[in-house]
Amino acid sequence: MAVEFLKMKWANAINEVVIGATKQDGGSRSSVIKVGGQTTLPYLSDEGSIPNPPVIAYEIWDATPGDWSEVLKEPFGNCLGKPVEWAKKCVNEFKADLLCLRLMGAHSDYGNNSAEKEAEVVKDILKAVDKPLIIIGCGDDEKDNLVLPKCAEAAKGERCLIGSALQDNYKTLAASCLADGHNIIAESPIDINIAKQLNILISDMGLSQDRIVINPTIGALGYGLEYAYSIMERGRLSALNGDKMLAMPYVCFVGYESWRAKEAKALEKEFPEWGNEKDRGIAWEMVTATALLQAGADILVMRHPKAVGEVQKTINKLLEK
Amino acid sequence: MKFKVKFYPENKEIEAEQGKSVLAAAISAGLHINSSCGGDGVCGRCKVIIRKGTVHTQPSGRISAEEKAKGYYLACLSTVESDLEVEVPPESKIDLDKISDEEAYLSRLKGIFTESVEIDKAETIIGEELFLHSPLASKIFLELPKPDLEDKISDLERVYREIRKKENLPIMQMGLSNVRRLGNLLRSSDWKITVTLGKRNDTVEVVLVEPGDTQDRSFGFAFDIGTTTISGELINLNTKKILSAKATFNKQASFGSDIITRIIFAHEQDGLERLHHAVIDGMNAMIREMVAENNIDLNDVTCCLCAGNTTMIHLLLKVDPSFIRREPYVPTANFVPVVRASEAGIKINPRGLLACVPGVSGYVGGDITAGVLASGISDAEELSILIDIGTNGEIVLGNKDWLIGCAASAGPAFEGSGVVCGMRATKGAIQRFEIDPKNLKVNYVTIGEVLPIGICGSGYIDIISELLKTHIIDKNGKINTSINDSRIRQGEFGKEFVLVDKKDTGHKQDIVITEMDLDNLKRAKAAIFSATSALVKHLNLSFEDVRKIYIAGGFGTYLDIEKAITIGLLPDLPRKKFVFIGNSSLAGAREILLSVDAFRRADQIAKKTTYFELSVEPGYMDEYVAALFFPHTDKERFPSVIK
Repeated sequence: MAVEFLKMKWANAINEVVIGATKQDGGSRSSVIKVGGQTTLPYLSDEGSIPNPPVIAYEIWDATPGDWSEVLKEPFGNCLGKPVEWAKKCVNEFKADLLCLRLMGAHSDYGNNSAEKEAEVVKDILKAVDKPLIIIGCGDDEKDNLVLPKCAEAAKGERCLIGSALQDNYKTLAASCLADGHNIIAESPIDINIAKQLNILISDMGLSQDRIVINPTIGALGYGLEYAYSIMERGRLSALNGDKMLAMPYVCFVGYESWRAKEAKALEKEFPEWGNEKDRGIAWEMVTATALLQAGADILVMRHPKAVGEVQKTINKLLEK
Repeated sequence: MKFKVKFYPENKEIEAEQGKSVLAAAISAGLHINSSCGGDGVCGRCKVIIRKGTVHTQPSGRISAEEKAKGYYLACLSTVESDLEVEVPPESKIDLDKISDEEAYLSRLKGIFTESVEIDKAETIIGEELFLHSPLASKIFLELPKPDLEDKISDLERVYREIRKKENLPIMQMGLSNVRRLGNLLRSSDWKITVTLGKRNDTVEVVLVEPGDTQDRSFGFAFDIGTTTISGELINLNTKKILSAKATFNKQASFGSDIITRIIFAHEQDGLERLHHAVIDGMNAMIREMVAENNIDLNDVTCCLCAGNTTMIHLLLKVDPSFIRREPYVPTANFVPVVRASEAGIKINPRGLLACVPGVSGYVGGDITAGVLASGISDAEELSILIDIGTNGEIVLGNKDWLIGCAASAGPAFEGSGVVCGMRATKGAIQRFEIDPKNLKVNYVTIGEVLPIGICGSGYIDIISELLKTHIIDKNGKINTSINDSRIRQGEFGKEFVLVDKKDTGHKQDIVITEMDLDNLKRAKAAIFSATSALVKHLNLSFEDVRKIYIAGGFGTYLDIEKAITIGLLPDLPRKKFVFIGNSSLAGAREILLSVDAFRRADQIAKKTTYFELSVEPGYMDEYVAALFFPHTDKERFPSVIK
């Protein structure tokens, strides 16, 4: 007799968030990216539908990264510090479907650019490439509150995904996203309650729930990956069980966290037993990303093209029926 | 529809919505009507006479047939249905001018436990009539037969024999100094003496021997020693009458606001000594004042009964509390023997006694035992919860068969400490607060109806609830700066909202609430709520299984249960489940002072209460963070608040 598999039926779906707007929608992108919409746990397509596969966004900067390892800088060559060239390279050469622009140039350590200047960068990139865009602030709350509204305005109509809104600093960005028609990243410190609280606060301001993406904050392999994993898993279980205030897709900043790890950066001559650094950092980024895919990541923001390529292959395989 | 309601003899008239309770109407007219039960129709203290007009009322056992014939109604159970003329009889008024500031704070306490309340048995808050009147120390006048050749037993045995003729008492003891004086004293007083019998656990001690008849001069003190506030009552041990009640800040607060920092401070040079003195100085000052105000001789005060958390009792007795803080958190004593008050530095009659209500554990102390006793939850068939909202919030769940309790560090915000404009619930404290959602105009009531000088705990609950309602703060407790109103501003301590402009205050300074205050209050309410919910969950129960929830704490004469639920301090349950009982620790201490029976019961309660350690409970931290939101992260748990 054949064994009948028990199938879980979930009460709720994850919200589908659309990033980017084509001409039809009032933007200038050639295509849009949809994330979320699933009615099941990651890759359990027997139990529900997974309309949109996880996507990978290439992280680009408007400044020359100061702390990137040689291995990480190498593929981008002389594009570093030239955001438009960098964006083009990612799209044309590495076939990126989604870009994540980190406005590091606004930070006082990286040139302290004005909000107006950053808005120009955003405009230039939108002109140079036609892929949807994620925009991230420099991490200084006060500066971001000046810069992000200007950039949101500059990208009006393009339905970007902009971050990050924090529990203690969400109003300015939420108001901008609301006014200029963007999606928002709600960032919480590996805490499911705060994630939910922030989603409620943002919704209370009038931004609809299908325009919010959760950044649960992650740790790289060896740096708290398991905490992030379990928080994401818990959030997803609650969401599928009916908690609408957690039913948002996840964005994970894999590149940022992985390449901070000592194991990713250290040279072979410092730690001979760790092997060649050429492969190590890439492997670190890959492994971190792959684990988070299982936890429910919908958008992976990554850095190294090789790691991106390998993770994309994994996604394709996981989705094979 | 609105009606005119006029109150006599004040001649105050206001407009009230149809269906509003007469009590609420009186309050908006600025009148203070007695209402110990907070409008539940239980205490029967808010009687008014309806001279003219129609009210809807519910039947109440509090109004006698005779009163009914005269037109008496309970203001809290009667609703306005037409224009009204209402007379407020003097006995229903809280006359705040006649009592001292401190008494205003305690005025409601006087009513609760001294009068027996004939209500449904299961709902009974234990009244003193349940316990035999047998105070910790009692005086008996003796006229001894003079010895002669027929009856020549010794003086001491003669005293004992005479006492036993009057009362059937166990082993008796007498201190050497009394024995030394006895021979001369008996003869010089013509064998007419008054002895004070002190109950020291299972024995009785002849504490005092005085010439003549001093029976009618027998007084004692009941104290609640809180981490932030010390409250005390002077009681006539013969009549059980409370002669005065006072409260003061615990001066130990200058060495740290919570228990843990105090325990740490106790280990510094002279730390224990200083903490001990801070508490006994405060108590002695209160004793002196109350005794002087009542023209009582300190020597006629023969006993003192204290309820307090375990650390406070250790510090009162100058016992090193440091082991309470170290795993496995064992105090030196939970059941403290009855000692001489003078040994602990408490200045009453030098031979007077000091007793402490037994505690459950290092973090659930005698104040909670006293609260359980006073609330009567240990006598009920069905489950009840006692929530004592203090610096250390304690929660006890149980019934007559079992009790379990836990403690959560809430901080002193609801006691008016650690918040910029906070104050105790005394004269000038804002205790009710409203904001008109249309024009953001504020409306408030202070204790004593004077110009406001600060905000007490119940005021803060109202304020947060109103700020949420009007979206001046978000659900995270942050001030919304996008509202264009000059009262929202950047102050010395960050963002703040001006509640009362300095031109309208008693001290000519602005009364504000800051984001930092909101954070402290949010943490306090989260600690209380999450501890309660973790305790209920731990026992695989739900709030629906609980029949009554008693709320105790140093709030003023008033606590708005509805608003306490709106901010997420209390669970969202039918409002009639809640009973606000004020300072239950002090009420319990008084019961125990007045009855050895009650003392024995307190012993039993302390012995049978299981201590539940929250810090090792998996999931507690999660519960806490989820509660750090107004009213809660899971709105499903507050369905009536979020509609």
